[in-house]
Amino acid sequence: MKLKVLPKSQRKHNHYLVLDIKSEEELTKNDFTSIVWDACVRFQGENNTSNFNLWTIELIDKDNISFFNEYNAILRCQRDFEDEVRSSLALVNNYNRNKISITCIGISGTIKGCSKFI
Amino acid sequence: MFDLNVKGSSFDNNLILAKQASIYGWKHINFSYTQNEYDDALSFKKDLEDNLEDVIDIDYTLLIESNNPSEIRKIVRKYRKKSSCISVLGGDLKVNRTSLENIQIDVLSKPYLKRYDSGLNHVLAKEAKDNNVAVELVFSDVLKSYLTHRSKILANFRDIYKLHKKYDFPLILSSGAESVFDLRTVKDFQAVFTQSGLSELEVKNSFKTSENILKFNKDRKNMILSGVRVVD
Repeated sequence: MKLKVLPKSQRKHNHYLVLDIKSEEELTKNDFTSIVWDACVRFQGENNTSNFNLWTIELIDKDNISFFNEYNAILRCQRDFEDEVRSSLALVNNYNRNKISITCIGISGTIKGCSKFI
Repeated sequence: MFDLNVKGSSFDNNLILAKQASIYGWKHINFSYTQNEYDDALSFKKDLEDNLEDVIDIDYTLLIESNNPSEIRKIVRKYRKKSSCISVLGGDLKVNRTSLENIQIDVLSKPYLKRYDSGLNHVLAKEAKDNNVAVELVFSDVLKSYLTHRSKILANFRDIYKLHKKYDFPLILSSGAESVFDLRTVKDFQAVFTQSGLSELEVKNSFKTSENILKFNKDRKNMILSGVRVVD
């Protein structure tokens, strides 16, 4: 049996981060998710990370014009914890011994609103 | 949004870094060169400025790397009029002390480098305040370290924040970026430092401090004494 959806007032409030990702290696959505979780658990700890309500909405491949792969991503996180997630992701610098950089280029209350940053 | 320490290299690399920094919201960056590279880098400074005229403001920082206090003094005297910002790489206690006592030096960079403590105490903090020498914390030190080493660096940062809050010496934050992979947006940069214990106001003040250093040095040739300036 499926659980009934919570009333709107009792649901968690989410914000969506638009991320700019540069990587030497090609990334999949699963790779990206594990990078995000690993970064948050490392920098903020297990207890704090449990508040973030992280979920990868989308990983978008951009046209490669230089020596690295470039992606945009939309990441869901709980309202009021944006700074914690941002700082954790800003401190990612390698994945599988390849250089990677993740930085937040926009933030929105809806997924639709993220499109103006991409 | 001022960054006084982006590692300078060749003309092309600087151009890529500056353009990316501009996209990420930085208004002004300084490329830092050591005393051995500085003269060579000056040769393409004009071209760089012309190429980035409408994109971002750039300038050069002289980063003095030496463990000899008298050599540092000599280099500072030689380059004071040529550079808009002089920074000394710290870590050694003698170097930290001589830098903070020298009014001609603008910035003491990484006083915690290769140390088990922050490299500053209440005496040095007072000296920094009296001589208006800023202490620089570099983001790439946190970025490029991990686990225990990273937490030790953050602990050193916190010790410096504590002294900064009590003695109110100028504090500046910079990225220390060597490539596009080390650059972050201004908001991300701020978020890391607010998470490690600085308030948002203090982070903003650190950007203002960087701006003030550059403004002060533009006027330096008109200064007769500290606080007295020739006005046309």
